[in-house]
Amino acid sequence: MSEAVLDPKTLAVETERYHHFITLALWLAAITGVEIVLIFLPVAPVVILTVLSLLSAIKFFAVILWFMHLIYDARLLFWLFFAGLALAFATFAAMIILFSVDRIDTKWFA
Amino acid sequence: MSQDAAPHAPTSTGIDHKKLIMWLFLASDCMFFGTLISTHLLYRKLYPTGFTDAAGHQQFIQHLFNIELTSFSTFILLMSSFLMALAVSAMHKGELKSFRRNVLGVIFFGLIFLGCQVYEFTHFFHEGLTIQNSVLGSTFYVLTGTHGTHVAIGILWLVLMYFYSFTGKLGGHVGALDVEVAGLYWHFVDIVWIIIFTAVYLVEYLGPSGIWGDGLPAVTK
Repeated sequence: MSEAVLDPKTLAVETERYHHFITLALWLAAITGVEIVLIFLPVAPVVILTVLSLLSAIKFFAVILWFMHLIYDARLLFWLFFAGLALAFATFAAMIILFSVDRIDTKWFA
Repeated sequence: MSQDAAPHAPTSTGIDHKKLIMWLFLASDCMFFGTLISTHLLYRKLYPTGFTDAAGHQQFIQHLFNIELTSFSTFILLMSSFLMALAVSAMHKGELKSFRRNVLGVIFFGLIFLGCQVYEFTHFFHEGLTIQNSVLGSTFYVLTGTHGTHVAIGILWLVLMYFYSFTGKLGGHVGALDVEVAGLYWHFVDIVWIIIFTAVYLVEYLGPSGIWGDGLPAVTK
């Protein structure tokens, strides 16, 4: 079985990351808790939607940067992934703008 | 470059091909899910009326969702991502036993998530929301079902990796890289759910009748 001989530098780096992962996991759980509380607050939906989007983006980037090691890895990987992400967001924005007609079916259900 | 770029055959980018290909795949999957999420949101905006159940009554999705269950499964998936990060870290340190423990945790949490999704789908189906009876049903089941399929594939991959670790072939830098690539896939499944949780579930609770309204024509209000 391959219980590899530990390189002290690798061990130090991984131990540091281990603590980062625990801290991040706690933050992610806390942010999810805040999101759930937010939706029941008597605040304007637009405000809550903005905050929810922001919190989701924070969680999203926290996971890709730390859990997925993008912050430690080659910059090329970040830009590769970011290209896909940008295209996805552009698709989303284009579709919302192109089809921004309100309630086209209400006459059928009224 | 950090020590993450473990020794591998020289490549023109300096990045191992497996890792590069996985990131490319994830970028393309991003577009795939981006399209599905966009479609769901778009049709939620265009068709805010929810669905009609078997008895012919108009139903609103807000009354169907169970935010406690979805929050629980979101938490479970986030924690599985945490365990996956620990599993990758363990492999980098050459701690095979720790890797197995953490991967078992990921598999267990993944199965709980899938169980929650099966329960949710079954409940929705019995309440009258099917993939065929409304635009909402079509986009909702296709989006969350595709995500669930990704989770199932991830679980299968990790189960195979878990048993493969007993052959003695999963070790060293190559083994650590293989686990890291599997980890990338699992984390991706998690980040997609982060978006789905907000864009599909949480937005339905904003305001008295959700962000999309109650589906009633503006003139009748």
